[in-house]
Amino acid sequence: MRNADRVTAVLLLAFSVAFAAGALKHYKWWGDDGPGPAFLPFWLGLLMTALALALLAKNLRRKDPGEAWLPRGEGLRHMLVVLGASVAFVALLKVTGMVLGTALFLAGLLRYLGRHRWWVCAAVAAGAAGCNWLVFAHWLRLPLPEGLLWIF
Amino acid sequence: MDFLSNLALGFSVALTPFNLLMAVAGVTIGILIGALPGVGPPSGVAMLLPLTFGMEPTSGIIMLAALYAGTMYGGTITAVLINTPGESASVVTCLDGYQMALKGRAGKALGIAAIGSFVAGTVGVVLLMLVSPALAKWSLSFGPPETFALMLLGLTTVTLLTGEEALKGYISMALGLMLAVVGFDIIAGIPRYGFGVPELMDGIDFLPVAIGLFGLGEVLVGAEASGKAQVVTGRIRLRELLPSLADLARSKWAIVRGTVLGFAVGVLPGAGPTVASFLSYTVEKTVSRRPQEFGKGAIEGVAAPESANNAAATAAMVPMLTLGIPGSATTAIMLGGLMMWGLRPGPMLFEKNPQFVWGLIASQYIANVMLLVLSTLFIPLFVRALRIPYSILMPLIIVFCVTGAYSLKNSLFDVGTMLVFGVAGYFMKKLGYSPAALVLALVLGPLAERALRQSLILSDAGLGIFFTRPIAATLVVAALIAIAVPAYRGLQAALRRRGA
Repeated sequence: MRNADRVTAVLLLAFSVAFAAGALKHYKWWGDDGPGPAFLPFWLGLLMTALALALLAKNLRRKDPGEAWLPRGEGLRHMLVVLGASVAFVALLKVTGMVLGTALFLAGLLRYLGRHRWWVCAAVAAGAAGCNWLVFAHWLRLPLPEGLLWIF
Repeated sequence: MDFLSNLALGFSVALTPFNLLMAVAGVTIGILIGALPGVGPPSGVAMLLPLTFGMEPTSGIIMLAALYAGTMYGGTITAVLINTPGESASVVTCLDGYQMALKGRAGKALGIAAIGSFVAGTVGVVLLMLVSPALAKWSLSFGPPETFALMLLGLTTVTLLTGEEALKGYISMALGLMLAVVGFDIIAGIPRYGFGVPELMDGIDFLPVAIGLFGLGEVLVGAEASGKAQVVTGRIRLRELLPSLADLARSKWAIVRGTVLGFAVGVLPGAGPTVASFLSYTVEKTVSRRPQEFGKGAIEGVAAPESANNAAATAAMVPMLTLGIPGSATTAIMLGGLMMWGLRPGPMLFEKNPQFVWGLIASQYIANVMLLVLSTLFIPLFVRALRIPYSILMPLIIVFCVTGAYSLKNSLFDVGTMLVFGVAGYFMKKLGYSPAALVLALVLGPLAERALRQSLILSDAGLGIFFTRPIAATLVVAALIAIAVPAYRGLQAALRRRGA
């Protein structure tokens, strides 16, 4: 984890310096009667800079790369598929609509993760998409995203 | 009697059929969420919060508070049966609970946990009822410096207690505060860090962030481990749940000590049920005449932490309701909910919304009774529900996260925010950062900034204002100690490494 911590520290350092500098450049440090909009962001940027430097210092002297923290093999694949499917689900909501999108997302992911039989996947997917619609759209009157085919 | 009339008002609110139904639903869902490994109390409250938007705030908070109490018990089921805590407050329960299960006493462990939870929860509500109004009255005299000092203390203690590494806890908190300044600055009247994105004008809402960090983030961590997760196979019969008289005699003082300790710890800003359960286990082991039995299936080792975590979950409501300072990630999300419902948490809540506060208090009594009934009568059913494989639950949780994030403002932008923070939550968990500290900072950030700037206006830009007022000074010093202790320890460790 040492390497990961070093990378995180450098990224945080760059971010916090930009954050503090951005505050001073774009907003007023002091207003008419007290601290202005840049006041807290500037100090927060400085605080994070100090924290990032501490993290860097703590991990810089260590030679060992630390244990691996990213999953490999099947674990990584599962995680990426779940994440990818979720992103695709959300990105396509305007095309598919909430109900159809949910059903497709669920059926696909259930089949991939659990290797359940097709009819089990389809039943759970349709049931859950229906319940979701019933609770949010019907009872709570929430305008769920509609697809190209009306609510589907 | 002002007090009794308030309580009567509370029960008249809590006993309406709809609110009773909400309490039952909250406890039931809470037990299930608590029992599912990887979905803890904060994710449960964050995911269910959108469901309450259409309700009266009182019904909403009744459901969420009942859910919080339910999760405390639910986590015990998996801790005892498969040695996997459903949430962090049940980690210590594994030690003796699972050992009891190996000896065929799983039912007794769950039974004593249910009894301990009931006693602790009920005593906790009584204390909540007695302490809160006094605390609220006292805090009415707080000005901006005291408010800021209190928030500083809440932020530093949470950071101290939630992270694996104090430095990473502070980084998480600072990140949360940085996210909190995005959006419209009310004092100066200009938008900050918007990058021209209209959705960022109002700032980053805490709800999509919380749902992402806790809900989706946990699912992603779980997805990686799926296949390796253990499944509950055992069965529990109702008869086995009743502890024997000898068990009760051994546990009674453990329950009493756990309750008192749990409440005291839970009231502190920052220290929640998890800390309470660890502390009470340690205390019990120290005072016991049979310390050698701990870790080998001692019933006190289940009774004490299970009582303590329920007492602490109730006590955590005290600072949230009276001071507007949440003590844990879960109460931080509830506090965010309160603000969304248009209520202003803090001392005025008791004056302005008595039916809300007292309805909540009365409903906590009812929730505890329901918890006892549900956790004994329906435990075989809950155990069966736990056999639903994670591969089915995981996609369902994601759908719930997406719908929940969308429902806040009917905006897909919020859903995108949720996804981004889901990935962030995954990395934070993997690398040992504290999502709880981030969410707490995001919720408290705007309030803290306003209090800070108002204080500095009052003092003509001098920092002395935080040290000359006695209450503010005490709180600031306590916060500084909370910062100094881990920093000192870290420095010491670094020096020792260099010396070695």
